[in-house]
Amino acid sequence: MIQFSDLVSFSSLMSTLGTATIVILAGLGCLMTEQAGMMNIGLDGMITASAFAAGVVSWLTGSWILGLLAGLLTGLLLGLFYAVMVVPLKSDEFVIGVTLNLFLVALSTFLYRNLPPAADGLHLDMGSGMAIPSISFGGNAGAAVSVSILVPVSLALVAVCQAFLYSTRHGFWLRAAGEKPESLRSVGRSPDRMKLVASLLCGAFCGLSGAYLLNYVHSFTEGISGSRGYVAVACVIFGRSNPLLVTCAALFFGLVDTVSTRLQVAGVVDSTLTAAFPYVGTILMMLVLAIRNEYRKAGQAKSALERQEAVK
Amino acid sequence: MKRILSLLFALALLLGAVGASAETKTTPSICIVVAGTLGDRSFYDSAYEGIQRLQTDYGTVINCIECGEDSSMYEQALYDAAEGYDVIAAVGWQFYDYLADENGVLAAYPDKKFLFIDNALEVIPDNLVCITYSQNEGSFLAGYVAASLSTTGIIGVVGGEDSDTINDFIIGYEAGAKFKNPEIRVLKQYANTYEDPAKGKECARSLYDMGADVVFAVAGRTGEGVFAAAQEVDRLAIGVDGDQKYIDPQHITCSMVKRVGQSIYDMVSDPDTYWCGGQVFTATMSSGYIDLAYGTDDMPQQVDDALKAEIAVIRQQIIDGDIVVPSAFE
Repeated sequence: MIQFSDLVSFSSLMSTLGTATIVILAGLGCLMTEQAGMMNIGLDGMITASAFAAGVVSWLTGSWILGLLAGLLTGLLLGLFYAVMVVPLKSDEFVIGVTLNLFLVALSTFLYRNLPPAADGLHLDMGSGMAIPSISFGGNAGAAVSVSILVPVSLALVAVCQAFLYSTRHGFWLRAAGEKPESLRSVGRSPDRMKLVASLLCGAFCGLSGAYLLNYVHSFTEGISGSRGYVAVACVIFGRSNPLLVTCAALFFGLVDTVSTRLQVAGVVDSTLTAAFPYVGTILMMLVLAIRNEYRKAGQAKSALERQEAVK
Repeated sequence: MKRILSLLFALALLLGAVGASAETKTTPSICIVVAGTLGDRSFYDSAYEGIQRLQTDYGTVINCIECGEDSSMYEQALYDAAEGYDVIAAVGWQFYDYLADENGVLAAYPDKKFLFIDNALEVIPDNLVCITYSQNEGSFLAGYVAASLSTTGIIGVVGGEDSDTINDFIIGYEAGAKFKNPEIRVLKQYANTYEDPAKGKECARSLYDMGADVVFAVAGRTGEGVFAAAQEVDRLAIGVDGDQKYIDPQHITCSMVKRVGQSIYDMVSDPDTYWCGGQVFTATMSSGYIDLAYGTDDMPQQVDDALKAEIAVIRQQIIDGDIVVPSAFE
């Protein structure tokens, strides 16, 4: 029989962290663009393209560092593309985001199948060079638990982003570029430049996420992202673009997923039902947020009234 | 003059010979429609490998339409394939509704031959052959291997989803494991996707965490994640559909091979023997479509020769009918 310790144990938490890191990294990228007022929803495509680039380079060179750099570079280039399309050319950000998703996933599939080294068609083992060092712990029943060093690195990045956005001048400007671009202009700062920075950061984070994803599943496959880029967008919305809250949302999704996966083994819950858990979680979270917002609005209205009364 | 004449004669003979040989070797064109995408190194790739072999051996005109997991494409893809090709193979049980439809593609193209891979209709029209596989038999052997190699007494299986075909694997696997060791615990997981290796990794990890030391991946591309997990915790896995040992010879002990490609190959290249319109063609272990494969000899072997010999005996017993493997289709 399954025990509670099987559901929420050190190794299941580590497993949660392992999958959630893909979403956390992409989420960090997305929230930067959202803060700058140009939400990039093309995360899924950017992750896939970066994973592919990391795969090709690490496979050709046998070096995970070069693979990681290739992923980062791909992300940065895509971030630049997005910024150019959205800021000076004023395209619709959602259309560009959707385009990135559809186009990049298809492009990496096409390239994956048609690269010269993949002459045999489909048997290119592209993850083999992508051995990012990992940290191992002893786990349940002797199964070692190991996480890539990118996992603690990305958690550190969450703290860095939090500090950057809320405690530095540049972070303040970045937020101002989204919230009130005219005020930023009035102090002689260019909102467009901050938007470019945000978009490049988004690309870099998606690049990291892609490289990590490749390392996580060990070899590039088509549709490698499993639509986790969309989950990241959802997390950014739940977490209101606050790095800590977005991370919590990503961990929440990861945990629901892990627990539902493990509940299945017990056989008490049907697999088709456990598959619905993350979505039920989504609805619950939406509900909580909506109710809290209503309360907050009511509270604000009340205090505003009180202030008016006081003035009178 | 004589010389030219004889040369012409020789040329004519040669051409005749070529013409004749081309005539005997011609096969109808074939298009496979897959319910996922190629590149899974498993089920769909096996089907594609089969038609590629037709192309090299017979010069057959081949094509493949990939639907991804987009069910809205299924029906149109079948019509498109039927429009341009002589034989249409629907690869994946997901095509059931579109083939079962009385006014569907089968009725619209009565002169074309259709193959339905991995599932059977209740009523089968004359222009359709349903090919089902005795995956339970091969999985029985896989289960036997898993139980033999397990030291913890717990083994696992990650299935693509809770469907009859996947459960057929799982039931056979459990039966084989229990045959070796009646006390063994078999943990099962459904990933609910065939296309997400990260999800597969999470499923497998949970099984390894709960003490399983051999996990059977029955989930197409999702199974790649199972192998990633096996490598990470340094435990064993079993591949499926194709001989997948080459992906990670250190951790993949063997593969339950389901020769989807071979069955399509036989149907198209030798219809006189194999084509049975309106019926179900069951591809079994005795006819060579189902087997257990251990990769090539230069790979490290976790299954030693003694165990391989045991497996060979059981395999023969299944073929002879001395062991009857339970099935999900009963």
